[in-house]
Amino acid sequence: MNRREALKSVAFLMGSAISATTMGVLFENFVLPEKEKNFVSFSATDEQILSEFAETIIPTTASSAGAKAAGLGTFIPMIIRDCYPANFQKLFADGLKEMQIKCSEEFNKDFIAMSNEERNQLMSSLRDDAIATNKAPSFFLIARDLTILGYYTSEIGCTQAREYLPIPGRYDGNVPYIKDQKAWATN
Amino acid sequence: MNINTNLKAENTYDAIVIGSGISGGWAAKELTEKGLKVLMLERGMNIEHIKDYDSAMKAPWEFERAGKLTAEQKRTHPVQTRDYPYNEATEKWWVNDLDCPYTEDKRFDWYRGFHVGGKSLMWGRQSYRFSDHNFEDNAKDGYGNDWPIRYKDIAKWYDHVEKFAGISGQAENWPLLPDGKFLPPMDLNCVEKSVKERLEKHYNKTRILTIGRTANLTVPHKGRGSCQYRNLCSRGCPFGAYFSTQSSTLPAAMATNRLTVRPYSIVNHIIYDKETKKAKGVMVIDAETNETMEFYAKIVFVNGSTLGSTFILLNSTSEAHPNGMGNASGQLGHNLMDHPFRVGAEGSAEGFEDKYTYGRRANGIYIPRYQNMGNDKRDYLRGFGYQGGASRGSWHKEVAELAFGENFKNTMSLPADSWSMGLGGFGEMLPYYENKVYIDHNKKDKWGQSVLAIDCEYKENEAKMREDMMNDAAEMLEASGIKNVQPYDNDCYPGMAIHEMGTARMGNDPKESVLNRWNQMHEVNNVFVTDGACMPSSACQNPSLTYMALTARACDYAVKELKKGNI
Repeated sequence: MNRREALKSVAFLMGSAISATTMGVLFENFVLPEKEKNFVSFSATDEQILSEFAETIIPTTASSAGAKAAGLGTFIPMIIRDCYPANFQKLFADGLKEMQIKCSEEFNKDFIAMSNEERNQLMSSLRDDAIATNKAPSFFLIARDLTILGYYTSEIGCTQAREYLPIPGRYDGNVPYIKDQKAWATN
Repeated sequence: MNINTNLKAENTYDAIVIGSGISGGWAAKELTEKGLKVLMLERGMNIEHIKDYDSAMKAPWEFERAGKLTAEQKRTHPVQTRDYPYNEATEKWWVNDLDCPYTEDKRFDWYRGFHVGGKSLMWGRQSYRFSDHNFEDNAKDGYGNDWPIRYKDIAKWYDHVEKFAGISGQAENWPLLPDGKFLPPMDLNCVEKSVKERLEKHYNKTRILTIGRTANLTVPHKGRGSCQYRNLCSRGCPFGAYFSTQSSTLPAAMATNRLTVRPYSIVNHIIYDKETKKAKGVMVIDAETNETMEFYAKIVFVNGSTLGSTFILLNSTSEAHPNGMGNASGQLGHNLMDHPFRVGAEGSAEGFEDKYTYGRRANGIYIPRYQNMGNDKRDYLRGFGYQGGASRGSWHKEVAELAFGENFKNTMSLPADSWSMGLGGFGEMLPYYENKVYIDHNKKDKWGQSVLAIDCEYKENEAKMREDMMNDAAEMLEASGIKNVQPYDNDCYPGMAIHEMGTARMGNDPKESVLNRWNQMHEVNNVFVTDGACMPSSACQNPSLTYMALTARACDYAVKELKKGNI
C-alpha cells in the first residue's frame, strides 16, 4: 500500500469527515498532466504556516504528538503539488495568501505570531465561511482534509494516536470494546 | 531457423506448459509428479517466494514515494491505473501497458501480470465450486453451448485441488454451491453473525450467508504457515499462507527434479506439424534479448491466461489452420465473458458499540446464488451472488461539521461509533458469440508481435440483473436490521472483475467448440487449454478453483493417453 492508497483507505473509513473535493482527487484515478504537476510552489515560510495550521487542526495532546511533529508542514505541499490538478493548486495557494491577509487585518499580526487562542478563532471563522459556502472547495477544506489523512497515515498517527498492530496472528470479530480503546491504525 | 541435432535434443521435453499462473502451476505440478519432464515457459521475470515480496513487511509510512504513483508510472500504466490494484506496494506485479498494448473496440480493462506466478500472486483467493446448475444452464436456456461435463465428472478433482491448495470454508449443503474439502472456516464477526441469523430467518433459509471460502490457510498446511491476519495478501505472503504458484505448486513440481522454468520466454505461436497433425513445440521470443528459439514436446499445455492463451492459438496459423490453431469451428476468440460487479448496498449496524475486532481478516462473507432457483423466478436468465462484510471503521457521525482541535483529535483516534455492513453483487454474464477477440495486425507490441483487439460488452440480461443486484442487497440489509441502507451502482465494464473467461470453449461437438471434455483440442490432440479460455459459461462464482480442477483432470487424462500411445 503506498501513501496514497493508505490515504484512500483512511479517507473511506472517515466517510463524511473528508470533503467531496479531496475524495474526488483521491478516488478518481485521473492522470495529472505533466504541466499541471508542481504548478505552484511553497516557500519555507509557507511550510511553517501549514505546519502550525495542521497543528491547530490536530494538536499535540496528552496521548500523542500532533500534526506538526508528524511532518504535515512538508506533507501537505507535496500532496498538493503531486496530486491536485492545477486549478486546485492555485485555489489552495491563493487561499493560503488570503488567510495571511485575514490574519493581518483581523489580528494585526502574522499567523506564526498568533497565539493558540487566536488561531482557534481564525479556524472557527474559516470553518464558518466553508459551511456558509456549502463546502465549496477552499484552502481551509483541503488543508484540513490533508491534515487528517496525512496525520493518520504517519508513524506518529498510526502508533501514538491509534494502535498499530503489524502481525495480529489471529482474527476475533467479537472482542469487547473497552471504553476509550484506540482505533486500529490499519484495516 | 536452423537447429542442430544436439540443440534440438536439449530443447526437447515431454511436455511444455505455457504460463506459470494458477493453472500453469497446477499443470507443471501434476505432469511432473506423473513422471513427465516439463518445461514451464513464463513471459515475464522470475519472482522468488518471500525474497522478492519487497513490500510485504512495510508499515504504511515506510514507502519511499510518500505521495502516490509517479507521473512516469501513470504514463506507462494507463490501463492498470484505471482501478484499484496497481499501487506502490504492488507495482511490480502489473504490466507496463505501453510495452504490450491492445485494441479496445469497446472499453475493456485488461489487467495483466507478467512474472513467474502470474495472477496467483495477485488473485482475490475466493474459491467456489460450480454446481450442476452451472454446468446445465447453457443447455437449458440455449445461450452458449452445452458443457461437455457435469459435476460428477469434476467433483473428485475439486477434492484433489482443495486438499492440496488449502481452502478454508464452511459446509452449507447449498444446491448451487457444492461443499468442498475445507480447512476450518474463518470467523464471521458479531455483526455478520447477526445479519446471517436475521437474513436466513427472514427468507426461511431460501437464502443463506456464509463465510467466504478462501485459499488462505486457517491452520498450517503442507509445510506452509497459517494466515497471520494482516490483510496484506496483495504484496505476496511471507508466511506462504495463501495459495500461489510460489507457495504451493512450484515447490511440489521442483521437488520432482523434472521441472525446468524459463522466465522471459514469450510464446509467439505453437508449431504445427502437418505430417503428424500434432503440435511439435513452440516458438519463443526471449523478452530480454528478442532472440527467437524453439522448444519441442509431446504435449503442450496452454495456460497463458484466458486472453493470452487465445492470442497464442489465434497467432498459430498454418496451412491446415489458417484461422488459428484448432479453429475449424470458428469459435476461437468468441464468447468472451467476465463478471459484472461494483453494485450493491451498504448501511450501518446498531447495537454493537461494545464490540470491536482483533486482527484483519482478508476475507468477507458470501451469499451464494438464490435466483432462478426453486420458486425464485426473475425476468432474466441465470443469477448472482454477493460478497461483502461488516467492519467497524473510524467514522464518527457525531463530530461537528468541519471540527478541529483537541476534542476532534481525541474522537478521531477512536473507532467509529457504529459498524457498517455492505453487500456487493457478482453476476453471471451470458456467453455471446459477438463478444470476441481477434488479432489486430496494425499494432505491434515491444517485441514486434501483433496485438489482440477486444470487442466485448454487457447486454440486456446483465443490465436487468444489475438492478436486482442493487435492490436485493438493499432489501436483505433492511430485513437484517441494518439502518441507513444506501444502494449503489458504480458502473462496470468487462474486464474489471479480472474474471475474463471463454474464447476457446469446451464442447462435445467439434463444429461448435475448440476443446473436448478433457480440455483437449478437437483438431490437434496433443494441445490442452486449461485456463479460463476453456469456459463455456461463467456462472457467478469466482472461477480460479474450477481452472485448478479442470487442469488436474486434464493432466491425468493427458498422461494416460500418452502412456497408451494415443497422443
